[in-house]
Parts: sequence; C-alpha cells; structure tokens
Amino acid sequence: MSFFDILLQQIVNGLALGMMYALLALGFTMVYGIIELINFAHFSVFMTGTFFGLTTLNLLGFSGSSKALTGLPLVGTLVLVFAVTMLATGLLGIIIERLCLRPMRGVSGTAPMITTIGVAFILVNVVLMVWGPQTQPFPGVIPDQRWTIGQAEVTLKQLLLGAAGLLLLLALHYLVRRTALGKAMRATAQDVDAAQMMGVDVDRIIILTFFLGSALAGAGSLFFGFYYGFTAFYIGYTTGLRAFTSAVLGGIGNIPGAVLGGLLIGLTQSLGGQLLQVRWTDVIIFSILIALLVFRPTGLFGIQTPQKA
Amino acid sequence: MMRTLDAWRSKMALRPQQRRQLWAVVLLALAAAFPLVDQNAANTDAMANAFVYVLLALGLNIVVGFAGLLDLGYAAFFAVGAYAYAIVASFQLKPEWSDVWLPFLWLGQVSRIQLPGQPDMVQLHFSFWAMLVLGAIICAAFGIMFGAPTLHLRGDYLAIVTLGFGEIVPVVARNWEWLTNGAQGLGGVRTPRLFGFNFGFAPLPYYFLGLALVTLVIFVSYRLQESRVGRAWMAIREDEMAAGAMGVNHIHYKLLAFSMGAAIGGLGGVLYVAKLTTATPDMFQFPVSVMILVMVVLGGMGSIRGVVVAALFIALLQSVFLQELTAYVQTLGRLIGNAYLQKVQLISSLELIFGCILVLMMLYRREGLFPAVRRVAALTREQQAVLPTRDATVQLSWAGTTTAAPGALLHIAGLTKRFGGVAAAEAIDLMVERGELVSVIGPNGSGKTTLFNLITGLIPHDSGTVRLEGQEISGLAPHAIVTRGVARTFQNIRLFNNLTVLENVLVAEHPRLQAGAAGAIFRPPRVCAEERQAVDNALEVLALFGNRLLPRLEHPAYGLSYANRRRLEIARALATRPKLLLLDEPTAGMNPAETLELIDLVRGLQAFGITVILIEHKLDMIMDVSDRIAVLDHGVKIAEGTPAQVRNNERVIEAYLGRRRQTR
Repeated sequence: MSFFDILLQQIVNGLALGMMYALLALGFTMVYGIIELINFAHFSVFMTGTFFGLTTLNLLGFSGSSKALTGLPLVGTLVLVFAVTMLATGLLGIIIERLCLRPMRGVSGTAPMITTIGVAFILVNVVLMVWGPQTQPFPGVIPDQRWTIGQAEVTLKQLLLGAAGLLLLLALHYLVRRTALGKAMRATAQDVDAAQMMGVDVDRIIILTFFLGSALAGAGSLFFGFYYGFTAFYIGYTTGLRAFTSAVLGGIGNIPGAVLGGLLIGLTQSLGGQLLQVRWTDVIIFSILIALLVFRPTGLFGIQTPQKA
Repeated sequence: MMRTLDAWRSKMALRPQQRRQLWAVVLLALAAAFPLVDQNAANTDAMANAFVYVLLALGLNIVVGFAGLLDLGYAAFFAVGAYAYAIVASFQLKPEWSDVWLPFLWLGQVSRIQLPGQPDMVQLHFSFWAMLVLGAIICAAFGIMFGAPTLHLRGDYLAIVTLGFGEIVPVVARNWEWLTNGAQGLGGVRTPRLFGFNFGFAPLPYYFLGLALVTLVIFVSYRLQESRVGRAWMAIREDEMAAGAMGVNHIHYKLLAFSMGAAIGGLGGVLYVAKLTTATPDMFQFPVSVMILVMVVLGGMGSIRGVVVAALFIALLQSVFLQELTAYVQTLGRLIGNAYLQKVQLISSLELIFGCILVLMMLYRREGLFPAVRRVAALTREQQAVLPTRDATVQLSWAGTTTAAPGALLHIAGLTKRFGGVAAAEAIDLMVERGELVSVIGPNGSGKTTLFNLITGLIPHDSGTVRLEGQEISGLAPHAIVTRGVARTFQNIRLFNNLTVLENVLVAEHPRLQAGAAGAIFRPPRVCAEERQAVDNALEVLALFGNRLLPRLEHPAYGLSYANRRRLEIARALATRPKLLLLDEPTAGMNPAETLELIDLVRGLQAFGITVILIEHKLDMIMDVSDRIAVLDHGVKIAEGTPAQVRNNERVIEAYLGRRRQTR
C-alpha cells in the first residue's frame, strides 16, 4: 500500500469517526447556544447511551457472540435500537435539565458548570452500579462486508452508520431551519428575554434542546458501540472531550460548525494516529482545543454566536 | 444620634485579631498532640496524607475561591510538583559523568558512581528541602506559562483550557518514558533528611512536616485575603469590569492567583511523593482535580477555615471513614443475615458521593458549609429609623491637592464609535473646564452611556481623541485610565456584592497602594501603615454620606438599600481620588428627598475641586445644578450651552418632544 492509499484509508475512517463526534458535538453546541452552559453531563449521557443500546440489543436477543444480520432484519433492528436508545438518552437529558439545571437558571458564574460535573460523576457511578465495572462486548449485528475503492476499504458498517448520521443531521437541519419550533429555538438562542416576550415558552424550548442534544448523543453512543465493539463506564470522558473540541472548532453555538468540527476531529484522530503515535493523539487534540480557545475562540469559521450578558 | 468620624476610626482600630490568634494556638497545640496521644500509626498516616489534600485545597481555594477562576485541571500542578521531585531524587536518570555536575557534587546533591569497565555515571539525590522550594517555583512557572495566554478568556472557556491541561500532563507523564518511566511510574524516591535524620517510612515525621506546611499556607492565605492583593482578587471575582474601573489590572492579578495556586499545588506534590516514594501518572487524573474541587465547594469557596475542614473531612472519608463504615455495615449484614450488606464496599461509591456533594451544594448551599461572608447583626430599628444627617464640616483631606495644569481638564475631539451600522457616538466634541459640572442629557439610546464607556476605555473607540490635561487617554486600558484620574459610576450599579461596604471602598484605593504579594504575606511596617491609612481614607470618603453608610461598614454590599448602593458606588469612585468624576444616573430610583441629598453632595464635590460629568434624566434638577449642558441625540451632540440656552434650543425640544408637523 502506498502512502497515498494509507492516507485515503485514514480519511475514510476519519470521516466515519467524525460522524460520531459531530453527533456528540451538536449536544454541546445546542445547549451552549441557548443557555451558555458547558454541559459536562453530556459526556456521561453519551456513555450511558452505550449501555442503553447494549441492553436494548440484549433484550432483542443479541449478545456479544451473536451472528450478524442481513437485509430487512438488520435495518429493522438498527432502526429499533436507534429509536429506543435516542428516546432513553433524550429522556435522561430532560431529567437532568429539570432536576439539576432549571433551578440554576439565572445563577451567574461557575455554579451551573460545577453542577454538571457533579451530574456527570453521579451518572458514571450509577452505570457502574447497574452494569458493573467490566468492559462489555457490543453485539456486532452489522455484517463485516467490505468494498475496495482504489486501495482503501469501506465497510458496510461505515456506510450504514454514515447514512444514519446524515439522516439525523438532515432531520435536525429541517427542524431548526424549517419549522416554527426551530424558529423559536433560534430566537431563544439570540435572546431569551425577547423570545419570551414574543410568546415563546422558553422552558419548553430549553427542555427540547436538552432532549434533542441528548438524543443525538444517544445516536453517537451507538456509533461508538458498533465501531469499537465494546463499551465501559469510563469511555465518556475522552470521547466527550474530543467532541467538545469539535464544537469549539466549529464555533460553539454554531450547529453546522459543530458537524464540520466533528468531521475534522475525526480526521485528526485517524491521521494523527497514522502519522504520529496513537498515544499522543489526545495531546494533539487537546492542544488544538487550547490553541483554538486562546487564538480563535469563535472557532475556525469565525462566526460570532450571540453573546448574552 | 450620630457618631463622629473619630469614634468610627477608633472602632475600626480595635477590631480584634486576638481571638483568631488564640484559636490558632489552641488548634495547633491539639494537632501537634494528636499523634502523641493517639499512638495508632494508621491514623497518623491517614492524617499526614490528609494534610497533603488540605494543602491542595487551600491552593485551589486561592484560584477558585479568591479570584473566581474555575480550574478543572488543578491536579496537573500536583503532578508537576510530584514528578519534579521524583525525577531528581530517584534512579530514573543516570546521566554520564561530566564536570558540569561538579558543583552539585560539592553541594551533596549528586553522587558519582564508578562502574568498572564503563564510563562513570551520576546519581541524582537532590535535597527534599531545596526541591520543596524549587518544585513550587517550577509549578508557578507552569502556571504562568498556561495562564498568560488563557486568562483573558471567559470563565467557562478557561475551565475547559485547564481541563485540557489537566488531561495533557498525565498523558505526557505516561508517554515520556526516559524521563518519567511511563505507566510504571517512578519508584524508590529518596525520603527527606534533616540534619542527618532520615524521615524514612514511618508516618510521624510526615505528619509534623505536613502540619507545618498546612499552617504556613493557612497563614499565607489569611494574609493574602486581608490585603490589597486579596481585595483585588475578590473584586475581579465579583465583577471584572467594575474591578477594572477601580484600577485593578485583572490579567496581572489573575496570573498571580493562578501561579500562587500552582505553587501550593507543587508543594503538595513534592510532599506527597516524598512520603509515598513513588509517582505514577494515574495519581493525577481528572477525578483528583474534581476531588479537590469538591473540598473547596463543600467548605465554601473563598472560606479558608471551611476549605480546611472540608479537605480534612473528604480526605479522611476516603482513607478512614468509609472503610470503618463498611466494616459496620458488613457486621450488620452478618447479624441480620443479609447477603447484600455483607458484601458492601462503600469506598467504591466515593465518586458518587463527590457527584452528590457537588450537585446538592450548588443547588442548596452555594456559599458552602462555612461561608466566607461573615454574618453581621442587622441594624436595630432605632438605628435604621435614625434621621439622615450629614456633617457639613466633613472635608476630604486630599481635595484641591492636585496641581492645576493650564487648559481644559477634558478635551474630547471627533470621538466616534459605530456598532455595525449604528453610530453610537458620531464625531463628538466636548470640552470640560476644571471644576465645572457638565451634564449630558438626551433621549434613551442617544449614546450617553456609550460616551462614558469610551472615555473610561471600557469599549474601544473607532476614531477621535480623548485628552485629560492635554494627555491622550483614549486607547488605554480601563485600569490605566483610572490611575490618570477618571472615575465613574455605572447606570446599572456594579458593586462588589459579596464584599463589605468598607472593602468596596478599599478596592478603589488599589492603584494608590503599593503592597504586592510579598508585602501582603510578610506585612512589614510600611504595609501596615499603608493599610491603616487606606482604612482612614475610606472612612473619610464614607463620612461624606453622613450616617448613611458608616453604620453599615461591615455589611455586605448586596444587603444595602437601592439608594445606599448608589451612594456606595459614588463613594467607591471618589476613593480613587479622581480629577474627573463621571456619574451615570446617580439619582435613578431615589425619591425626591434622597435626590436633593445627593445633589447637595455633588455640589459639595465641586467645592472640593472635583470636576463632574453627570448623566441624568431628571431635567429640573439638571437645569438647577449644571454649569453647562451637552445634549446628545442618536450619537450626535446637537446642542451645548448653559441651562437657559439649552432650554430654548429648537433642536433639543425637537429631540425630546418630536417635530411639529410642518404647516405651510
């Protein structure tokens, strides 16, 4: 394999990974856009999502050693697992907002952020208690089918998940840009008070934002499960921080930016892992994060998101 | 009945510090006696470890509690300090012998190892005591390195940057193998020696060493908190913009807080590694940073005693309480025959407890278990009902001391600021003579406050100049403009809410005081005198408001009435000793009697030689007090002149009342 082929392969892998980061980054960016809060609980919602997905698959009769599916059963299973997991994480997001963050609304300073760190710790430990500390295999229901383009390989897994991710992103785009609800969301992001005066039920919009963000994290968690074939209680932190870097890369608060940022971080991870050593990947990604925040806090695309005092 | 200014002065002078000193001696004696009375080595060991966490929590308290900077990667400094000592006091590095090492050999910090058939090697065994100091310095340097580019960021971004730093350090420690021995970590770290006595592995020497360091850091924390430095930190924490308007350079002080916190983290690291004799990357992960944050949050951000108690509690919870509780629960399980209870391991729920503490404290008790803000007795009914009095003889000792340079005091020429397409200030010219009282009026949104913001440097201007006594001040940072002699109040009052009335005024004296961190800690006679003088000056300014503010010296600003908040803001601005005072709607929300009282005061300021620019909406009052009036509309100055001239100006009437329909 020539260097170019390796590069191509890593780009394919990177884009596939990037879709996962994009889905996760959206949750950060949407919540930040509306209430200017960096939501550390999002890390753990994502991690919990992998276990919701795992349990759903187990209930459907799949285990780590199950055979892969094909055709309609495969599509049906995927749709079902995605729907259940996304609903479950979405509800989890609503519970977090309702119990822990709504009372903090209007509190300035670091208090709300500290609350989300607390929530993240609680979630991790609840997962530990319910599902145990061991690494759990994720059922591989998607058959290992590969196509070669040039020298690079594309797997069915990458195609299916890529399609699912694209579908979700389009649905989100439609919701935010084309519906009255989306308009209310954008208005709330611009100015909570003004939106309220115009008859927008801000509480409902914030709940909806948490639901959508967490549901997308749920989808992202299934990506994680299917790609890596395992899950454990500790996976949320690193992946979450990378996703957060994606959101910052695209300009936090900026929805299309988060998607592009996610893809870029996916590429950085796969190419960085190829060109340097894997163990330094995190140093690269967090250095990007720090450098970005210092030199270009509006993100690569430089679009200023509305700042609220 | 009104107390005289002198009575207030003597009351402040008598503020007792003795009680705290007594407490300190008693607690220290108890702590020193503990391991001698309780001979259990395990308890002594647990306490010695707990002291390390107390150190860390006190360090983080300076960053989070005093300066209000959320640091989520504090364990990184702990790690840097730990590795700094572990590397130079273990067998990890064995460089080849060269004469560069000779000075260290003479100092007894290295040994020359002669191996037959191989080149000689150097064995490092740097002194613990030297590294204690050096480790702190290295960490402070790291703090500055990471702080300098990032501390201007908004609070939540800073939190993320520190989180990233906290992530990077353990990864580097794990991967930089020749220096850190990777994931296995460094072992066999040399234990401290003092005058030939080897600390060894028994916990007792470390207990006393830890106690000494904790005592030192508590002392330093208190000294800093009650100094010019501490006030500057707390002012930044409460309101960064107002702090700048009082002359506090926020980047400088944030950096100071960050590096001092880092240095204390480094102390903790060196001590911890010397006691444990190993350092591995896993000892400094994110959960450690969170644990230290939990200590600060539980005790109360900014509350030194709270943080010490909480850190001891959390550290012992981890090492002692949970284990003992587990034993009880398991015994209970055996007694009642419950299989689940017999297997319980409470230590595994430690992080769950941390999470719950963070959430519950933030939801229900944000100020912590031992709040930093002391409760003071409310004024009695009689005190509240007392008639407002002002002593007409009160003088400002510094009034009229500034030498008068010839020419106008303030000269604004062509000052322009556009927000997008909107001109908030369009080629504004304004001259203000020394000793004048000039009012700026205009309809809402006409650019009055923008003009103040431009003069004080809060927002950058697009073009034009602002000169004070002939010197250009536009383009300077807000804190630099204050020191040139321009002070202001804000339309929407911006006091330091959790500071007391007195402290609010003291912050404003910041630029005139000298004490730095070292002065604050060692408190030489010069600094003591300076502080006494500062309190005196503050009382003098507060006395201008008669018995409105003086009885409330020790009250936190958030508890003041609206009118008193306005008064305190003016007092705070006056304490910077301005030549030019900008008052933005000082009588907003005051009743007619209070308005008169304030007008009287403003006139008094003029008599002291302070030049005043006033933004107001109460036109009858404006007409009464102003020497001259400038009228703004849509960012343009449409009229200027004496009250009578402005009153009859066509354009002014038009701006306020609208245009009469043209009749032909």
